[in-house]
Amino acid sequence: MTREEHAKGYSHAELMAVLAAKEIRDGDKVFVGIGVPMIAGFLAVHSHAPNAVLMFEGGYLGSHPPMVCTDVGDSVLGFGAPYVTSSWRTFSDLQHGYCDIGIIGSAQVDKYGNVNSTSILDGGNHENPKIRLPGSGGANDIASSAGRVLIMARLEKRRFVPRVDYITSPGHIEGYESRRTAGLKGGGPVAVITDRAGFRFDGDTKEMYLSHLYPGVSVEEVKKEVGWNLRVAEHMETVEPPTKAQIHFMRSYDPTDVILRRRHLFESIDFPSWSRLAMSSWEKHARRA
Amino acid sequence: MADQRKRADKTRTLREAIKEFVHDGCSLTLGGFCGRNSQAAAYEIVRQNRRNLTVIDDSPTDQLDILIGAGCIRRVEIAWHGVSLFSLARNFRRAVEEKIPQPIEVEDYSNYAAGLRFMAKAMNVPFLPTRSLLGSDIPKHNERIKIIRDPYEGEPVALVPAASPDVAIIHVQRADKQGNAQIWGHLANDENKARAAKHTVVTCEEIVKEKDILKIPNMTALPSYCVDALVKIPYGSHPWSCYGYYYHDIIFQRDYAKNNETRLSFLKWLDEWILSCEDQNEYCRKVGKARLSRLAKMERAINRIPV
Repeated sequence: MTREEHAKGYSHAELMAVLAAKEIRDGDKVFVGIGVPMIAGFLAVHSHAPNAVLMFEGGYLGSHPPMVCTDVGDSVLGFGAPYVTSSWRTFSDLQHGYCDIGIIGSAQVDKYGNVNSTSILDGGNHENPKIRLPGSGGANDIASSAGRVLIMARLEKRRFVPRVDYITSPGHIEGYESRRTAGLKGGGPVAVITDRAGFRFDGDTKEMYLSHLYPGVSVEEVKKEVGWNLRVAEHMETVEPPTKAQIHFMRSYDPTDVILRRRHLFESIDFPSWSRLAMSSWEKHARRA
Repeated sequence: MADQRKRADKTRTLREAIKEFVHDGCSLTLGGFCGRNSQAAAYEIVRQNRRNLTVIDDSPTDQLDILIGAGCIRRVEIAWHGVSLFSLARNFRRAVEEKIPQPIEVEDYSNYAAGLRFMAKAMNVPFLPTRSLLGSDIPKHNERIKIIRDPYEGEPVALVPAASPDVAIIHVQRADKQGNAQIWGHLANDENKARAAKHTVVTCEEIVKEKDILKIPNMTALPSYCVDALVKIPYGSHPWSCYGYYYHDIIFQRDYAKNNETRLSFLKWLDEWILSCEDQNEYCRKVGKARLSRLAKMERAINRIPV
């Protein structure tokens, strides 16, 4: 493998996307949701995994759109898609076992990789939560049936809790064999990717442990943000910063900055400028596709 | 109902269709999935000030947030509710967390489970089993989901109840007068929503002749026998995309997401974009002809319907 030049400036979101993309293998069928997971999926397809098939729950499969979009039913996902179908069919294929890897976001995650995206109770109860979040969407289905599950989270103490307030998407539940006992067929979480560190799961106990440090981050710093006595890998790995090529691809694939949000461009851009920027980038990426 | 569905011409105005089929206290599902949404229909329900509605759906977006903020909704049975990438659905949050403008009951599912609920009723069976939901807290807070041992293999499965909304409103690209409705791009759960509902209203970009439907009958997702009424409503999905017709107006949606942050700014938005627009034509004039044409041009650069 040739040594590639590392990018100098990059954001947390960009690094997370690069690390998530690395988990995708060539030929994988990949179930991706909105935001950073989507750009990670396309980065993989446009680099080391050209034969990966991205599955979107609205019903688009194998899309090669000319740019990222904000949701999973966007017509741009129709571009370069060999198969367009219904939502229930996409999920049936997932449940059947066709999907190798799924990427989900989280508001809270616990030490067995259970994910909450339904409600933060904070003294309230399910009917009267402190914060009502959007809910499962397809995340529960992905967590139940995908071969491997990748969880994206921000590393903060209020998010890394010993037990989530509500299991929206099952991880390894109580650890050990509890997924199998519950009747789940998918493999469950294999990694948690955050803005400062990466985590994996013990093969027997299924407990999350710290496996990857990002440049300039210490073990102690990570432990401070985790709400339980975090186990640490014997041989800690340090992640490589993104390459210039990876950063260049992501920025040009998100020309109006809707996902990466690094320049505050999207907050203020007007309709004509947005439309021009989008269409001029389409010409470039449509050729590539 | 049966006679209605046999009519040769089911066309009417959006105002007439909503008046006829969406009543106070009824249950409702809206078609599409982050694209090809029944947006114009949701706006008209707000204009007609319907109350105490139940929405049964998969992952509704701003159209439900608007209905909740306008005080139309009493209960939702859903898998997810937000405004795309842009924001949490603030009206939904205010209703659950602060009971503003009124309390709302929430019954949670996953997207697959929500889709299976429509499929169950479309098949006219009482439930369907799935391997989703197992091991999660969703069934703990939703007593209508039952975890049982599969009577054949003995493994756990989750049962989800059939859903039969009083009315489904589905936006499509084109249909003939009888209601044979063709869909390009993702189908979402619309084939099953239309069959599960007691009444189905189709809104469409274009009404075409029967011979045009016959040219490519595989694209007919909803046959006329499950359609009660047909409404021509161009740009009926705006700001969402409509495959082959117009692209997603992301900027409009960004601005909505800014405005639903507070109750006050939402009410102002509601008045400006829905209540003070008499109908969809006026809404389209307000969005601007040049802007809508540009969205159509963008879409044609990506997807074209090959007929």
